[in-house]
Amino acid sequence: MARPCCRKPLNLATQSLLYDFLAPSCFKTARLNRPTRQFSTSLRCLSSSEPPHPHPTPRAGHEAATDPATRSKPLTQAQRDFLTSALRVNQAGELAATLIYKAQTPPIVASHPHLRPLMKHMYDQEAGHLATFNSLLAKHRIRPTAMYPIWTFAASALGWGTAIMSREAAMACTEAVETVIGTHYNQQVGVLLEMVEGMEERGEEVGEDLKVLIEDIRRIRDEELEHLDHAVENDAQKAVPHELLTGVIRAGCRGAIWVSEKV
Amino acid sequence: SSLIPPQHRNTMASKRLLPLSRRAYHSYTHPQPPGPFTAVESSILSAAIPHIPTHGFTHTTLSLGAKDAGYVDASTNLFPKGAFSVVHYHLWSQREALKKHVPRLVGEFGEAGKGTGRKVMALTWERLRGNEKVVHRWQEALAIMAQPSNIPTSISELSSLADEIWFQAGDTSVDTSWYTKRATLSTIYAASELYMTTDRSEGWRDTSAFLERRFEDNMRLGGVVGSVGQWVGFTARAGVNVLRSKGVRI
Repeated sequence: MARPCCRKPLNLATQSLLYDFLAPSCFKTARLNRPTRQFSTSLRCLSSSEPPHPHPTPRAGHEAATDPATRSKPLTQAQRDFLTSALRVNQAGELAATLIYKAQTPPIVASHPHLRPLMKHMYDQEAGHLATFNSLLAKHRIRPTAMYPIWTFAASALGWGTAIMSREAAMACTEAVETVIGTHYNQQVGVLLEMVEGMEERGEEVGEDLKVLIEDIRRIRDEELEHLDHAVENDAQKAVPHELLTGVIRAGCRGAIWVSEKV
Repeated sequence: SSLIPPQHRNTMASKRLLPLSRRAYHSYTHPQPPGPFTAVESSILSAAIPHIPTHGFTHTTLSLGAKDAGYVDASTNLFPKGAFSVVHYHLWSQREALKKHVPRLVGEFGEAGKGTGRKVMALTWERLRGNEKVVHRWQEALAIMAQPSNIPTSISELSSLADEIWFQAGDTSVDTSWYTKRATLSTIYAASELYMTTDRSEGWRDTSAFLERRFEDNMRLGGVVGSVGQWVGFTARAGVNVLRSKGVRI
């Protein structure tokens, strides 16, 4: 697929300087790929996101400049966009979960003191997840969602509102949120695995970061599904407007996820 | 532009319209993606930089750079934005150069997490000093940056600079303050840069004092907002707890 002129090692000091200029596209660096709108349908794009000119650039690292067959290639724009929006959404989700539990705890525990250990356990796990994603965002220089204050208010209101209604409603809220989040993390793990598979197929180095990320998201997904089980055990299904409540909350969560990916 | 093959003209034009800050996910295990300039453009522009003090941010500087880099004069056609490319390259290269100050600042103010505020001020000052050689031409650059077609890139570079400074200073907050910190730093930097163009003092003393005053203002304002927020939060929580202790089920 690559034109013969692109297989030349990049050595601008030679007389190819003039030819550089006359045919700039041969020596152009890999351009940014168009971002994908919905990351769930971007599997094809991510796994076959090799730029049309697989010519390594001098600024992409010394190895890349001197050895065109190097295994370490920069992540494509689509991959970086996916990782950015995925981690941003995850942080927003964990923030919301933490605030929901924090708001639910006082009314629930006032009328059902035996639920204190459970609420504390779930809150602690969510706080741990939030800390994980906070450090990932800071490390990889990802912008947090601009809706942060709005989600803070909305999550607190949701937690407080469902707890005021009843213990069953609070559990139904947890059930709804954890269902959406569990599916969401599962989807992410799927896309990440496909990304890694694509990179391994092409002989590119995957890197520790991605592998650790997949493990982390898997573990977090499992803990969220554990919360889902706890909620169902604690009579989430017995909430009086169960279908309506869980339907509205699930729709709200999906909407919040969509917005946080973009904003 | 007649020397550029027609099938490449569109891609090159559209390349410049792409938003600059697609920086996103910074990877530590993969090499960095290419910057906004290709290898050829970089060599011409970096050769043009030393000519800025004498010829300013103009097309002349660009052709002198092309000549120094060993290209024919007409290779300035690679830059449809003309003089703005020189401005852009100056902004980009100065921002990249901030990294080299970090080890010294870490030695002076402490490891990551300590002395963030002072590191931010020091890095901002270093970035201002990066303009020293060209400051007498900087108003020209500002005028070029203010042209409508160049505004998105200019604003993007300013926000990238603020992000770079906060990141290199070791800031790890990822809540709403992420936005407020970068917005305030962008404002402070832009104001100081403008002030510096009229500064005639020895060693840019006046600009340094101006910068310090801006940071002090910012801290004072931040302190006031923080205190008000703290008071409101405390009062609300206390009110809710009092009602709960009276038996109201909220």
